[in-house]
Amino acid sequence: MSDAANPASPAASNNGARSIHTVDARTKKRNASEKRFKYYGIAAIATGVFFLVVLLGSILWNGVSAFQQTYLEVPVYLDPERLDRENPSSATTFTYNPLIAEAVWERAQELGFGDEFEDEGGMSPLISASAAAIIRDRVIANPDLIGETIDVRILAGSRVDGYLKGRVDRDSASRDRNIDVAHLELVDAMQENGSIRKVFNWDFITGTDASESRAEQAGIGVAMLGSFFMMLVVLGLSLPIGVATSIYLEEFAPKNKFTDLIEVNISNLAAVPSIVFGILGLAVFIQFMHLPQSAPLVGGLVLTLMTLPTIIISTRASLQSVPPSIRAAALGVGASKMQSVFHHVLPLALPGILTGTIIGLAQALGETAPLLLIGMVGYIATNYPDGIASGFLDPNSAMPAQIYEWAKRADPAYYERAWGGIIILLVFLFAMNAIAILLRRRFERRW
Amino acid sequence: MYDTPFRAERDVSAKDTKIAAREVQVYYGDTHAIKDVSVDILDKTVTAFIGPSGCGKSTFLRCINRMNDTIDIARIEGLIEIDGEDIYDRRVDPVQLRAKVGMVFQKPNPFPKSIYDNVAYGPKIHGLAKNKAELDEIVEKALRRGAIWDEVKDRLDAPGTGLSGGQQQRLCIARAVATEPEVLLMDEPCSALDPIATGQVEELIDELRQDYSVVIVTHSMQQAARVSQKTAFFHLGNLVEYGDTDKIFTNPQDSRTESYITGRIG
Repeated sequence: MSDAANPASPAASNNGARSIHTVDARTKKRNASEKRFKYYGIAAIATGVFFLVVLLGSILWNGVSAFQQTYLEVPVYLDPERLDRENPSSATTFTYNPLIAEAVWERAQELGFGDEFEDEGGMSPLISASAAAIIRDRVIANPDLIGETIDVRILAGSRVDGYLKGRVDRDSASRDRNIDVAHLELVDAMQENGSIRKVFNWDFITGTDASESRAEQAGIGVAMLGSFFMMLVVLGLSLPIGVATSIYLEEFAPKNKFTDLIEVNISNLAAVPSIVFGILGLAVFIQFMHLPQSAPLVGGLVLTLMTLPTIIISTRASLQSVPPSIRAAALGVGASKMQSVFHHVLPLALPGILTGTIIGLAQALGETAPLLLIGMVGYIATNYPDGIASGFLDPNSAMPAQIYEWAKRADPAYYERAWGGIIILLVFLFAMNAIAILLRRRFERRW
Repeated sequence: MYDTPFRAERDVSAKDTKIAAREVQVYYGDTHAIKDVSVDILDKTVTAFIGPSGCGKSTFLRCINRMNDTIDIARIEGLIEIDGEDIYDRRVDPVQLRAKVGMVFQKPNPFPKSIYDNVAYGPKIHGLAKNKAELDEIVEKALRRGAIWDEVKDRLDAPGTGLSGGQQQRLCIARAVATEPEVLLMDEPCSALDPIATGQVEELIDELRQDYSVVIVTHSMQQAARVSQKTAFFHLGNLVEYGDTDKIFTNPQDSRTESYITGRIG
């Protein structure tokens, strides 16, 4: 069809006018910059994801092995000649050590080893120094076992554990005074025979810290309790104080220079380095108020100071996000200020408040620096607190402080524990953030 | 506009004064928002405040139930009396005042609660019901007065925010009348509604006149003409003219009023 025959055709009507079918230079430039910006964004996210994957990958790579522990499985004869059935606690671990060593020695001889080690004393590198205490506890709990041969899991020494996890090899063993290459041969044979096995390491999750030379026994359980009691203190103090402060500042306080000053200070406090709160806690709670050192109570108080600004800021933000028309509606039907806040504003702000609180708690849970200053670190987490009061008041550690402590120790077995501890800490943090997200999804109201 | 099925009666001579304002001044910081307003608002009458945007009609309305108290920088001078009592007297608790002077806002603002709870909230906090049965009765009565009962009686537990705009506004009116106020203030109640919902609300306002003194702020002069018996014209913070609606619209005394209603200023 020709243009002349159809004067309404676009080509004909476009005489001299700007065509929108060809992109002009300015639009081209604009589109290009838009595209470029989009690529910048994608590149930034990709970088972030890459580092996140590297981080999580290295944590898992290094830490997962902490969740397995090597045990020897050999029958131990509880010789009634050496153990007293009437008074089982009279025998110390010095009595038990040879019993265990003999049992392992017997198995070694069955497997054709012997000459290399002379006698049962040569077995001690295979056995954890804590193994005797573990079996002794079991016998004390049940004295009838004396005289019997029990099938028992014997905690293996940390070098053996390291060998099974690839941390120790023949080359490093030949330079190690604690273990010989011959021991590794024996371990290989015992593993084939089923007398040495790696099993899931519950003791790492529930157990107590152990001394420098007994990495194989160390667990994070007590530090977890320490963190738990601290979080109770933080939650119990910072939630009510923070929410009350926010409600007052947001809904009741007059807007003047004084409240402005308070606001600026709260924002600044949120940015204060946590170690400053630590030294404040040391000065005020321990040196001035004489609260017990290293106690979760003090740790909780310090972390409360640190968490308060976070909670106040997020609570105020969620109060501000409640539309003013709701307040007007409440006042309009004759509700008092307080009724309007507590009946209408607060319920709507609650999901935001809870989210902020949980994020504040998660932050506090991972905080280490202030705990160093009030002494919640070091080789102290060897006893479970007995009861609620001692949970708050007895010296304890906290998960991040325990991880820091392990990372400092010389034995590479502790390095693995530190990474394992980080995995546990991250699981808690992820769980708390997931709860925060769930709460927000579940209770968010639209109006 | 469309024809209204009702025609507001114009006889207001025998009504008492409900709200008396004398030389009211309102300042927002340095801005003098209301200048020297004196007006007598009658009982059982619909009074319309009209005027261009920013002329102070809403501000003056909000003085009557002291909603301006919530604005820190607002300052009010002069005298406003309801039933002969100064509402800015030191003895007055604004909460008590607002139970007596209900308010309906420009944008429907039901609480994000059930329809029932929306209406029951006022009576509950003012202790108007002794038990659940009485409360049910109050809620039903208020929803009937709000001309929304038939639409929501089967879903009183449904959220009030799930209703349509017009229904929400009538719910808000029901909520306002549930506390048994004597004065009902309405701040552009139909500005967010379509013509059909507007018609329903206007009809409702005319019915409410039998029990309340209704003060309505509106941008629509047709609406003022349809629903009100008295009209006050505000301009730049001044009350320019106040009188019977018929007179204002047919024979305005002030040239500014005439310009506004004929569309020359606004």
